[in-house]
Amino acid sequence: MALSWRSWLANEGSKHLFLFFWLSLNVWLFGKTFLLYNQGLQYYYLHQMLGLGLCISRASASVLNLNCCLVLLPMCRVLLAFLRGSQKVASKKTRRLLDKSKTFHVTCGVTICIFSVLHVAAHLVNALNFSENYNEEFVTLNAANYRGEDPRKLLFATVPGLTGVIMVLVLFLMCTASTYAIRVSNYDIFWYTHNLFFVFYMLLMLHVSGGVLKYQTNLEEHPPGCFNPNKTLRQNLTVPKAFEELFPDYTTEPFPEDPLVPEPFVQNRFMRVCSEEPKFQSHFPETWFWISGPLCLYCVERLYRYIRSNKPVTITSVISHPSNVLEVRMVKDDFEARPGQYVILHCPRVSALESHPFTLTMCPTDTKATFGVHLKVVGDWTERFRDLLLLHSNQDTEILPIFQQRRYPKLYVDGPFGSPFEESLNYEVSLCVAGGIGVTPFASVLNTLLDGWKCYKLRRLYFIWVCRDIESFRWFADLLCTLHNKLWQENRPDYINIQLYLSQTDGIQKIIGEKYQALNSRLLIGRPQWKLLFDDIGATVGYNSSNSYGTRFEYNKESFS
Amino acid sequence: MGQIEWAMWANEQALAAGLILLTGGIVAVAGQFKGWYFAAYSIAAGVLVCLLEYPRSKRKKGSTMERCGQKYLTAVVKLLGPLTRNYYIRAVLHAALAVPAGFLLSTILGTVCLGIASGIYLLAAVRGEEWRPIEQKPRERPKGGGTMKPPPSNPPPRPPPDARRKQPELGGQVNPIPVEVE
Repeated sequence: MALSWRSWLANEGSKHLFLFFWLSLNVWLFGKTFLLYNQGLQYYYLHQMLGLGLCISRASASVLNLNCCLVLLPMCRVLLAFLRGSQKVASKKTRRLLDKSKTFHVTCGVTICIFSVLHVAAHLVNALNFSENYNEEFVTLNAANYRGEDPRKLLFATVPGLTGVIMVLVLFLMCTASTYAIRVSNYDIFWYTHNLFFVFYMLLMLHVSGGVLKYQTNLEEHPPGCFNPNKTLRQNLTVPKAFEELFPDYTTEPFPEDPLVPEPFVQNRFMRVCSEEPKFQSHFPETWFWISGPLCLYCVERLYRYIRSNKPVTITSVISHPSNVLEVRMVKDDFEARPGQYVILHCPRVSALESHPFTLTMCPTDTKATFGVHLKVVGDWTERFRDLLLLHSNQDTEILPIFQQRRYPKLYVDGPFGSPFEESLNYEVSLCVAGGIGVTPFASVLNTLLDGWKCYKLRRLYFIWVCRDIESFRWFADLLCTLHNKLWQENRPDYINIQLYLSQTDGIQKIIGEKYQALNSRLLIGRPQWKLLFDDIGATVGYNSSNSYGTRFEYNKESFS
Repeated sequence: MGQIEWAMWANEQALAAGLILLTGGIVAVAGQFKGWYFAAYSIAAGVLVCLLEYPRSKRKKGSTMERCGQKYLTAVVKLLGPLTRNYYIRAVLHAALAVPAGFLLSTILGTVCLGIASGIYLLAAVRGEEWRPIEQKPRERPKGGGTMKPPPSNPPPRPPPDARRKQPELGGQVNPIPVEVE
């Protein structure tokens, strides 16, 4: 019980703490803005006209400000990769928070949707109230032109109204295309509609520049509810509620005979006479302050990524592996990557608009500048890419190798970007579990260990790879055997514990290949038995470590949709 | 772009639009706004659209994620045959349902959203997509009888089953070497 509590705290604690902090910030902003508009004197006359709708619309707007600002930050991938890489800047707990950046983006997005609904509903009520409660006394405060003006005119014929309506439609399109089912089946729809965010932000900048809601500037000279001697007595003097509560008998008489001790400002106010008419002014759009920072940061980052990826890579070799997997090795100047990172490939000859992420299976080192990706051919982009690459490599079998490079299609690489798998080398014991082609991040880790394993904190790596097809193991069979042999030679055979599982056993062939004896003996049929594995690893680690509090499992995972 | 199934997106939009119509209608009826008959209509239209759009269609290739509990509605929607299978009819239906709700301020958003969904359904219909029900695959029951053998009937020590079959006992022990009783 204690073990699972500590494991939970290690895995989920900081994430929940961050979420709690974000939630409190939202609640505080909502409450503060609501009270400001409900009780603030500078909004007194406006509040009279609009009522609760004013408070709710402004409070939801402030929450929207915060979330529109925060939603862009998790998408600044270069910045996040930098934070992940610089060991001084980010501790392990912060890096684990960075793993959840996509989830945080989704959370902020959902909050934007919910509060937009609230904001729109409140403003619809405001439009009705602006029309019905047209204020003849303070004409500049009104949004309508006359009493009883059609509220639809306010919605569709003003700048804030029209931009608001279009923003709602854009949000509707983005929201319906972002569900999990659509992302998994038709990623294109999600990607193209999500790029409408830029239109959303531009409209948002215009939306807040309308200045429809005004505040009173001259509170000293005209405290709301003050007595205006020039006004006729037939007019209903509406007084602030605070005043009514304290002096229920005196609301019709401005000068009581026996003043009790009231709140200082009520006394001042009711004693005072208005010296001038109230003056109203529109707010400066504070949303510009909120969103300009992240928007600029995001645009700068996109520009940087574009400049960095503008130079095409040179493809050095293309290798075809069984089970529809293709390995592409390439070189590029000034390209550095850490094991576990991924890149985004863009090939204009395959598709002008699409680009796809692939994990690096081989990173460039000090001695070797080649890096590579393994890609599984599943969709139309990868099929066309494979056809283009293999067509060129088949044609050039008789020509000198240097000519091969010129015939390959131009390929652009954007990245590298970080992922949770970079942490594998920062633990003393790592348990790496992979299914099928998902083994690619661990392949780059193994390649790095092949270059030198002594300089990392890692002391043991449990490598569990589950595949459906026995041919799949041949993608990295050479790598695994080479690493295994090297560790044997250097007298650390227990550094890596390889377990290969074949989950579907309809084939007769139960060996990977004659020359992979080390792997054949580690091949198990069926799915891994997790309880036994975890007990085994936990016992070993607990026995080896000096503290007696047991083993703590930290879980790093990545989701790809 | 060639393999996008637009109908799936139109389905999500129509479901969302149905919910928006429902919410707007409830608010207007509860608040007894002017012209609340439109709101009552939009509640009914919203419910109808939600029920029609809840079962997701099967994708052309690949597996489709079902919505929770959609199989009951799939059976109903399947009964209507070509009325629900054809996306042209759905596009026209949604456009027609959307129009009356546009006369009330609280449901006008539902109108626009359902109109957009209708447009995307038209696009899907033009590209030849159809609504296909997701059938439940019959679960293969694991045959328990085949692998389980009956327990042995004789107590231990037991000879292996092959030995029992090859040398049938004649009621007494068969001695390999003849023994003479003296």
